[in-house]
Parts: sequence; C-alpha cells; structure tokens
Amino acid sequence: MTTTVSASGLSLRYGGTRALDDVSLRLTAGVTGLLGPNGAGKTTLLRVLATALPADRGAFTVLGHDPGTARGRQEVRRRLGYLPQTPGFHPDFTAFEFVDYVAILKEMTDRAARHREVRRVLDEVGLAEVRGKRIRKLSGGMRQRVALGSALVGDPGFLVLDEPTVGLDPEQRMRFRELIAEAGEGRTVLLSTHQTEDVAMLCHRVVVMAAGRVRFEGTPAELTARAEGRVWSSTERDPGAKAGWRTGTGTFRNVGAPPPGAELLEPTLEDGYLLTLDDAGAEVAA
Amino acid sequence: MFLNRQLVLPVHRTVPWRGIGAAGAAGLLLAALTRTGETAERLSLYLLRAAILAFAVGLAFLLDDPARHTTSTVPTRRPVRVALRTVLVVPAAAAWWTVALLLVPPEVRPPVADITLEAGAAFVLAVAGAAAAVRFSEVTRPGRPVTGALLTTAVLAMLFWPGRWALFVPVEDERWAAAHERWGLVLGGAVLLGVVCAIEPLRRRVRL
Repeated sequence: MTTTVSASGLSLRYGGTRALDDVSLRLTAGVTGLLGPNGAGKTTLLRVLATALPADRGAFTVLGHDPGTARGRQEVRRRLGYLPQTPGFHPDFTAFEFVDYVAILKEMTDRAARHREVRRVLDEVGLAEVRGKRIRKLSGGMRQRVALGSALVGDPGFLVLDEPTVGLDPEQRMRFRELIAEAGEGRTVLLSTHQTEDVAMLCHRVVVMAAGRVRFEGTPAELTARAEGRVWSSTERDPGAKAGWRTGTGTFRNVGAPPPGAELLEPTLEDGYLLTLDDAGAEVAA
Repeated sequence: MFLNRQLVLPVHRTVPWRGIGAAGAAGLLLAALTRTGETAERLSLYLLRAAILAFAVGLAFLLDDPARHTTSTVPTRRPVRVALRTVLVVPAAAAWWTVALLLVPPEVRPPVADITLEAGAAFVLAVAGAAAAVRFSEVTRPGRPVTGALLTTAVLAMLFWPGRWALFVPVEDERWAAAHERWGLVLGGAVLLGVVCAIEPLRRRVRL
C-alpha cells in the first residue's frame, strides 16, 4: 500500500515539556485512529502533520511533499483538509458562505466550479437543507459538520481530524462515523479520538501515544490481541488488576495479570489500549 | 495565485468593523472637544493624541479572527490575509484621520505632517502588536490583550519615557523636530515588527 504520510524523529517541546518525543510513523490510505490520554501529544502531532505548527526536529512528507520548505508546505496545504479540535467560525456567515470562503482560501478560483464543490460537500455532510442559515443559528453538531465540510472542500488527499465527535450526542456521533468512513474511501484520514469504539468501527490502523511518544502502531486487531489472556471475570474486584469494574451482570471485569484459574474473557480494543498505556506508564516510571 | 480577488468581499466581512467604528467614534468625539470653548494649542494636541490612541485601540482588533484555527492550514498564506485586512482598513483609517484633523480648529491644529506621523506610528504599532500576538500565541482574538498592552504602554511612556528620547512633546518644545525623527523610527520599527510577525515560520527555534 502506498505511503501517504511518512514522519521520522518528530520532536517538539513546550517549555520543559516534551510534547512530541522522536515520533516516527507511516500512514496509508484509509482511516488511522490516534488514541492517547489527555496530554499525550495527539493534538500537537496532528497540528505538526497539518502544517499548523512547525516541529523542533525531525522530518516528514505528505503525499510526496516536504513541508519543511515553503514550496513543499504550500503543496501539502493544497492537498490537505484539517478539522481542528475547537473549530471557529464567522458566525454571521451562512454555512454556504463559510465553506465557500474556505474554498477561496484553498485557491479554488473558478466561481461556478467552486460553488458546485461547496454544494457537493454540504450535501455530503448533510447540511444541504440549512446551507443558507447563519452559523450562529446552527446547533453544535451542525457547526461541527460545517467544519468537516470546510476540511473536505477541494477533495483533499490527506484529512486530519482532531476529536471530531467530542460533544456530539450518540445519533450525531453515528452520523459522523458514516461521514468519516466515507471520507476514508480513497484518501488518508488521521483521526484523533478518545473513543475506542470509533477506532474499532472505523480504522484500519491505530496509533497509541503517551507522553509524546508512539507506544503502539498496528491494526485494531493487533491492539486488541495485546489484551489476549489478560482480561478475566470475577465475583469481586480483583485487587491485582490494573483496572476493574462491575458490569451490568453484577460480575467484575478485570484487566491486568490474571490469577491462576481465572475465567478469561474476550478482550476488546479498549482493553488493549488500557494495557498499552499501562505498559507505557511502567516504562516511563522505570 | 498570490491573491485571489474573490477573497476581498469575504475578508471584508470578517473585519471587525463594529469595534473599529466604535473606537473611531470615540476618537472623533475626543477630537471634537477641541472645538468647545477656547481650547489652547497644547490641550488640542493632547486631545488629538487621545483620539489617535482611541482609534489605534480599535485597530488592535483588526486581526481578530474566530475562524483562525479552522483556516490555519489553507494554501493562501497568512501574510496575504493580514495584508488584505490591512489594505481594506487603510481607506477607512485615512478618512477617519482627515475628519479628525478637520475637527480641530486651524488656529490650534498641530503641524499636520508631524502629527500624521504620530498617528501612523500608533496605528501601525497597534496592528503589529496584534500580528505579534497571533504569531506567538494561539489566541483567535488578539484585540483585547493588545489593547491592554497598548494603553499601558502609552500611559507608561507618557509618564516615564526619558526626556532625552522624548516622544510626547508640545509643539512649542524645542525637541519637537527631534521627537518626530524618533516617531519615524517607531513607525519603521512597527512596520518591521508587523512584517516579521505576519510570516509563518517553517521551523521553530531548536531547544532540545
């Protein structure tokens, strides 16, 4: 599979904090999930790859272009869609006007073609009915879709989405999953999220970050397999477990090193993620 | 294309005209005070400088952009967008300044070229301050912090600026000409600061 994004040794510090510490990764077409706790460096990595923030060290290419040069960054930006963690808007613009404004900023100069593209994108994100409505009058979920539309306009080859489902209700999240899955057909999508279900349902690859470093890179099945034989059921919370909680059936689901003879359970991606973070924490402490 | 002319209208709509207009109105009110009663030349100078400061405060909001992060990675470069906003506000600023000058009775009006230099320096400094706030922080609305900095700097400069480098001198003061050479330097420095801060860096300073 062709590599769309290739990064090696990306490092960045904020004051005394290493936000990115020697991050290397490769992305191919499809949706790649980026998981990690708060402060893991996910947003920083996304901003670096989206050319919103230069790294201190390291190099990367996007669709064959090096953003470390002015010309390369320009070329990357022509092929990039970016949805930031907290997208902002000009509230007096309508949804159509705002996406059209972004399309002009993306150098789409032919007015008729651009308006066709804006209409297509607003249809795609389900905003055709409200495209003439001012953004200040749209709900939070609709505004998020305006932001996704702004990222999608111009058919970018690389789409960077920073926690796009935060604050959305379950129905809106489901709709967003559909949109992201569609967006991932034929292009590379990097999706940062706290929702392991989103990763399990959408992503062909997953990257786990903690303390500015990549702790895991592989398929969701491989991440899940990390918890194989490390999830078990008990009638009491097992004090030796890394994490444990009472389930709806009244039994406890424990994650960690099971005692001999424990009743093992089928692991989930979340179990694999928790154990990866735990291993990373132990590594940092050591 | 370096600048798409279709950008002009939407960018015009993103300029915070209301804030700039309110500051401009306050400034004109201050300038109009020079017409009340018998105003001394020195008082009219102070009122005009207060008017300049009021309008500069409005211009500090020029780069407020709630969509900053949503549009941070578009191929149209930041210097182009900053320049476009600046160019759009120049005719309004020029018109405002003309009206402000005309409001001051001719017999108490300070030398026009020199006071225009002061106004230009203050206006450019306000916009350059906003550009610096955008360059070195993640704020989407730099206007408010820059306004605070601008007002504080102006007050501190009027109170504590060393006399031998005086900027705020009355017309009859023998240092008037020298002060306006320094205003020229302030203007040049502000332009330089604005240009440098409008550029998006490719690399951060390595601190590893």
